[in-house]
Amino acid sequence: MKKGSNKKSEKKPEITTIREAFDSLRKSTDFVFYKKEHGKVPYVISYFSSIVDVEVIHQYILPNLLQISDLEELKSKIPIEEIIDVTSPKDLTEKLPSGYVYIYFTDSDHHGVLIPAMKNENRSISPPEVEFSVVGPKESFVESLDTNIYLIRKRLPIDSLRVEKITIGDLSNTGVAYLYIEDIADEENVNTLKQRLNEIDFDAIGDTAYISQIIADNQRSPFPQILDTERPDRVATALAEGKLAILVDRSPHALIGPTTFNESISTFEDYLLNWYAASFIRIVRIASIAFSILITPIYVATLTYHYELIPKDLLATLITSRRAIPLPPILEALFLELTIELLREAGARLPTKVGQTIGIVGGIVIGTASVEAGLTSNVLLIMVALAALASFTTPTYQFGNTIRLIRFPFLFFAHAWGLIGIVLCFSFLAGHLLQLTSLGRPYLEPFYPTRVRDLKDTIIRLPFSKLSRRPVHNHPEQKKRFSPKDEKVHRDIDE
Amino acid sequence: MTTIPDRLKVSPFFSFYLVQAIQIGVGILGFQRVLTKAVGNDAWMSIILGGIGVHVVIWMMYQILNKQNGDITDVHRVLFGKWIGSGFSILLIIYFCLLTITILRSYIEVVQVWMFPGIRISLFSIVILIIVFYIVNGGLRTVTGMAVLGVVLPAYLLFSLFYPLKYAFFENLLPIFDHSMIDILKSTKDVSLSVLGFETLLFYYPFFKEPKKSQKWAHLGSASTIFIYLLVMVVSIAYFSEEQLIRNIWATLTMLKIVQLPFVERIEYVAISSWLFVILPNLCLAMWSASRGAKRVFNKKQRPLLVVLILLVCAGSCVLKTREQVEMISDFTAQIGFYLIFGYIPFLFLFSTIFHRMKGRKSA
Repeated sequence: MKKGSNKKSEKKPEITTIREAFDSLRKSTDFVFYKKEHGKVPYVISYFSSIVDVEVIHQYILPNLLQISDLEELKSKIPIEEIIDVTSPKDLTEKLPSGYVYIYFTDSDHHGVLIPAMKNENRSISPPEVEFSVVGPKESFVESLDTNIYLIRKRLPIDSLRVEKITIGDLSNTGVAYLYIEDIADEENVNTLKQRLNEIDFDAIGDTAYISQIIADNQRSPFPQILDTERPDRVATALAEGKLAILVDRSPHALIGPTTFNESISTFEDYLLNWYAASFIRIVRIASIAFSILITPIYVATLTYHYELIPKDLLATLITSRRAIPLPPILEALFLELTIELLREAGARLPTKVGQTIGIVGGIVIGTASVEAGLTSNVLLIMVALAALASFTTPTYQFGNTIRLIRFPFLFFAHAWGLIGIVLCFSFLAGHLLQLTSLGRPYLEPFYPTRVRDLKDTIIRLPFSKLSRRPVHNHPEQKKRFSPKDEKVHRDIDE
Repeated sequence: MTTIPDRLKVSPFFSFYLVQAIQIGVGILGFQRVLTKAVGNDAWMSIILGGIGVHVVIWMMYQILNKQNGDITDVHRVLFGKWIGSGFSILLIIYFCLLTITILRSYIEVVQVWMFPGIRISLFSIVILIIVFYIVNGGLRTVTGMAVLGVVLPAYLLFSLFYPLKYAFFENLLPIFDHSMIDILKSTKDVSLSVLGFETLLFYYPFFKEPKKSQKWAHLGSASTIFIYLLVMVVSIAYFSEEQLIRNIWATLTMLKIVQLPFVERIEYVAISSWLFVILPNLCLAMWSASRGAKRVFNKKQRPLLVVLILLVCAGSCVLKTREQVEMISDFTAQIGFYLIFGYIPFLFLFSTIFHRMKGRKSA
C-alpha cells in the first residue's frame, strides 16, 4: 500500500522544515495565525478556524497561556489529553487540518505543541428510518464513530467487547473500527476481516457502503455480501451471536458479517414479536420476494408460449384484457416494469413533497391512461404493481435493489424459452448463490451446506428457549448461549 | 494420491443427495415401456431385483475405494500401472462425456416433443452447458448444492402421483409371476440403465469428510431412488393397460396430464420445465467427474480441461439431429454403462481384493 506522502512528493518539493510546512498551510484562507505578546513570553497560536472548536480555545487554552513560560509547563497546565510535541513537519501537515491547535513560543524557533480542539458537531441520535419497527428501541446510528461505539458499548457493557480502529484512505483518513466479542467471535473470521480491511487501498472512503463493496468476497455479484444496518440493537445482538461489526467514522450505518441470505431477508423486529407472528411475517416476506421476481416472467412465459396452462375461465378474462393490445407480452411487461422503475427513481431524486405528487401522477394517471390507450392489459398492470409492492417488503435496502434488478434477466429468459427459460435463469441464480460467500463463510447456509441446528432461525423463528446455541455459521468459540434447563416434567391435569 | 483440503470437502451425509440426484434423470419420465415390453405387469419385481443389484455394486465400489483411500484413477494406477491404468481412466472419462451428451439430448428431445417443437438445439445446448460450466467451476461443493436442489425442489411432483390413483385399477398387477424368472432377471438390465450415473462416486469419494461414513447415506439415496421408481411403476401399471404402456414413450408425463388444479392446467408443462432442476445436477456431476478424471490423468489444471470437455459435449449434442440418432447414442451409452457397473466393477472388486491380499501377504 502506497502512502499518500509518497505520491505528493512526486509533484511538489518535499517539505523539510517546520517553517516550510507552516508556510504551505498559510495558503488556505481559513487558516488563522496570530502572535500574542501580552503573556509572560510572546507566543504564536495557529489553527484552521473552520474545524476548531472556538469554545475550547477560549475556555481551556488562552486563559492558561498567560502564566506560562515554557512548553513543559504548558503541557501540565492545560487540561486536555493528547498534547503532542512537534518534532517533524509531518506532524503539522497531518494534525492541523484535522482540528489541532498549534502553539509555539517566539523564542523557540517553531518548536511547539499541538493541542486537539476539534469541533464536534453531530446530529443527535434519532429513531431509525430505514429499518423502522413499531416495537423496540428507537435509536439509530449517527455520523460520529465515538457515538456509534457508545451506542453499542452501552448494550454490551463487558470487558471482552473489542474495538479496534484503523485509518483507511489517503485523502479521507477515515477512522474504521471493527468490533467483536473476543471469547465468542471466531478468530479466523476476525483475521479475515482484519486482513481485508488492511488491504483496502482507496483514496476517499465516503461511507460504510464503500467498505462493504470493497471487502466483498465477490465484487461481481449483485448481492450484498455484508449486512448493512442502522440499528445499534441489531449490531449488539449480532455481536452476541459471534458475528463481527464494522463502524465507519462519519457514517450512520454499521456493517455486520459474516452474513447469510436468510439474514438479509429478516428484520430485527422478527425477534421483538411473538414467534408465531414473526414466523408468519417471515413466510409472507419470502413468498413476496419470490412473487416479485417471478410473476411478470411467468405472465410473459405463459402468454407467449403456454396458453394451455391457463384454465378456461381465467383464459377468457386474460384474453379480453389483452385483446386490443398491439404489443407482444415481453414489450408490454418491459414497458410497465420500466415505468415503475422510473417512478421509483423520480420519487427518490425529488424532494419529498414533490415526490408524493409524482407518485400519484405516475401511479394513477399513467397506469390508467396506458390501459385505456390499449398499451398494456390491466391484468398485467395489477401484477406489476403487486410485484413492486412485494419487492418493497425486503427489509434491507441494498438487498431490495438486487431483487428489483434480477427480475429483468428472468423476463428475457421467459421471453426466449418460456417456463424452461425461467427455470434456466433460476438455476443460474442458484448456482451463483451456492458459490457466494460472506467473509469466507457460505452465503446460503443453513440451507446449503445444510445445518439442521441453524434452521431453527430461518423461515420459522423458534421461541428463544429453543435457540440455545449460537449459529454454527459464525463458528463461535462458545457454542452455547445458555444451557437449556432439563425438560420440565409434564404435569398431569389437576396435579 | 493428492490430499484434498478440508474447505473443499463435503459432509458424508451429502452422498444421499449425490447418488439420488444422478440416478433420477430423464429415464424416469418413460422407463415403463421397455420394462413392460419384457415382463408386463411383473415389471415391479425386476425393479426390486435391479435395485438390489445396484446396491451390491455400490457396496463393491466402496470396498474398492476404501482400500485405496483415493479416487478411481489412484486405484487404476496402483492395480494396472501408470499406462494401462491411465487408459482405463480415459475410457471412463469418455463414458462420462457420452453420458452427458445422452442426458442432455434426451432432455432436449422431451422438450422438443412436448413443449417447443421448433427449439434451436444448438443454442439451447449452449445455454445449458454454460450454466453447467458455471456450476462445475464452483467445485464439488457447488455441484453438491445443485444436487440438493435437484432432489428437494422437484419433490413436489411426487404428489401428482395421487391423481391417477382415482382411476387406478390395481388388479392389473395380477397375476404375479406371470413371466419366467429368467425374463425378469433379464429385464433388470433395463432397470439398471435408468439408474446409471452413480459411478461418479468413483471420483468424488475422496471429497467426503469421512468417506467411510458416506456409504450408509449412499445406500439410502439409492434405496430412495428405487422406491420412487417402484412407486411410479406400480401406479403406471394400475393406471394404464399393458397395451397402452407398451405404446407410450413417456408414460410418466402422460399420467401427469390428468392432474387438474384450479389455477393451472397441463401440469406436465410445469413438470418438464422443473425437470431441468433434475437434469442439471446430472450434467454437472458427470462433467465434474470427467474433468476431475482428466485432471488426475493428464496432471493439468481442471478448468481448461473442463472447457475442452464441455466443447466436445456441445459439439456432440449439436451433431445429433434426429430422434433415431439420439436413441442410438442413448442405447450405446446404456450398453457401456451396463457392462461398466455389472462387468467392470465386479472385476475390479475381485482384482483389488486379490491384489491387496497378495500385497498383505508379501509385506507380512
